Amino acid sequence: MAENTIETNLQTKENAVKVPKKANLWIKRGVPLAVLAFLALLPVFQIVEGTLNYYLHMLMYVFLYVIMSSSWNVIGGFAGYVSLGHNVFFALGAYFAGMLFLATRISPFVSAPVAGLLAMGFGLLFGLIALRTRGSTFIISTIALVLLTAEIFDNWKLTGGTNGLAMPLINLEGQFAKIPYYYYLLVVMVICVVMTYFIKHSKFGLALRAISQDETKAEVAGIPTRQYKIIAFGISGLFIGVAGAVWGSYLTYLRPSIFLTVSLGTSIVLNTILGGKGTIAGPVVGTAIMIAVNEFVVAKLGATELNIVVTGLILIFVLLYFPEGIVGSLKARNRLPSFLDWD
Amino acid sequence: MIQIIQILILGIALGGVYALMSSGMTLIFGVMRIVNLAHSAFIVLAAYLAFFVFKTFNIDPILSMVITMPAMFLVGIVYYRLVFASRADNPRFSDLTVLITFATGLVIEGVLAFIFTGIYRSTTPTYAKTSLNIGPFFIPESQLYALIISVLLIVSLWLFMRYTRIGNAIRATMQNRNAAQVVGVNVRWISTLSFGIGLAMAGAAGSLLSFVFTFYPAKHIAWIGMIMCLVVLGGMGSLVGALVSSFLLATAAAYVNFYLGAAWSPITFYLSLFLILLFRPQGLFGKKVEG
Repeated sequence: MAENTIETNLQTKENAVKVPKKANLWIKRGVPLAVLAFLALLPVFQIVEGTLNYYLHMLMYVFLYVIMSSSWNVIGGFAGYVSLGHNVFFALGAYFAGMLFLATRISPFVSAPVAGLLAMGFGLLFGLIALRTRGSTFIISTIALVLLTAEIFDNWKLTGGTNGLAMPLINLEGQFAKIPYYYYLLVVMVICVVMTYFIKHSKFGLALRAISQDETKAEVAGIPTRQYKIIAFGISGLFIGVAGAVWGSYLTYLRPSIFLTVSLGTSIVLNTILGGKGTIAGPVVGTAIMIAVNEFVVAKLGATELNIVVTGLILIFVLLYFPEGIVGSLKARNRLPSFLDWD
Repeated sequence: MIQIIQILILGIALGGVYALMSSGMTLIFGVMRIVNLAHSAFIVLAAYLAFFVFKTFNIDPILSMVITMPAMFLVGIVYYRLVFASRADNPRFSDLTVLITFATGLVIEGVLAFIFTGIYRSTTPTYAKTSLNIGPFFIPESQLYALIISVLLIVSLWLFMRYTRIGNAIRATMQNRNAAQVVGVNVRWISTLSFGIGLAMAGAAGSLLSFVFTFYPAKHIAWIGMIMCLVVLGGMGSLVGALVSSFLLATAAAYVNFYLGAAWSPITFYLSLFLILLFRPQGLFGKKVEG
């Protein structure tokens, strides 16, 4: 059963390489590139007109969650180890860059990559402990990680406790203030998505997918499953840490109640599963839809309580009826528009 | 010395309630391999139910167990039938249930927050504020009653599992689902029933907690963290394990609370979870096989 699925995956991959015709390829490559070009040019209108702050803000939310969901995909989607605690990387990145800035005035833009490496290091360390377990026990340990970290940050004087840390606003006029963050996140997002593509098509990625199908068989086949899982977990923390550093400086305040809630960790998972876990385009599609839905619920119904009800109901519905997510389900039915087939 | 024994008393009193909270979750996992992360949300739901009948009909929260237990039993049966019954044979079932129940917890939280708002609540029967003095020691009356009832319920659950035919069928299903089916146990029916019983325990816990702690809709996150630690420490699916780890951690947390400060007592739970994962991932009383 398990090998069959791996084989089918390989076959679809081969087909995807063989089949595309020329016109198809134009749409396949052109639409994502056009969207990307549009996103890259959007701040120009902001500079000229200065009326796009709201849209830039929403798009940055999308970039941020795409970074988190795509990164999560490496361990949760490819290797099948569902982590509900990936926002811990986010918090680590934010607090590291924030505290460094307050102490030494080194800009978070500069320290963000270091924050990413720190998050990755922490991921490797945590993976060493938690990845000794499988399945449900692993998921539980990741929830416990969020709760433990929140508890520590809530009570630690160095991180400002529940009040958190305040950072100064960026030294730019309101009209331009968002633009550096916007581009930073956009670039990180593109790198991150491209990275998941290369991971998926590497030998490493194939091994991860084998682990998610049947870990024991993968191990018998000679894959060093333990090391691979831990490395995958570390990699999945890298860009979330970077994004955390940037986002913390953008928000100008760091609080455990923003970075370390269980619901944040869940929405990362939800976005990926909704879009299609294990696919490259899935996290992007899922994130865009979920942020639109959330924004709609908050704006139209005006209650954050209903927001988590909607989040929960969508998650249950997708898990029960479309466990492959939007991209995965469409692909299985051969209905996926070619411009969303990034695998 | 008096101090040390006093803390032990308070720790054991809380341990009883924790044991009641975790017994339902561990039963559900043991029989169906469902990691019910909505368990604490159901407890909070039951606590709100107890609060509601206390406020409107002035029904004593202990007495309200007569309402909350059957109510949660029914909720459990309907929930199991709707969501899980048809999917029990899925090989990825256990992982799937974690996310589904967690999402269910969020839905319950949101609905409760919408109806009751986020204000901290608790029921206030006359015994909620008084303590009993025994020699140099004291125990809050509410915690004493909660402890007694919890122990009674757990003992009756144990007797039920040990000495009735249905109880034996449940234990057989816990040990080996397929073999139980072969010898003629209606596994589907037993699963539904166990889910109902598990949630009835959550209902009882909700009634008792409503006067021992204050609660609010988002409280279930903190409680599920605690219950998870108890269940994993004891070994997923082991009732004895849940019982032992409840008393163990409750007393440990009480001492930590006294010597290091209140902030550290939840940390005790999470740290013990990671320690047990490091040295004995299957838990104190767990079997080596995991989902």
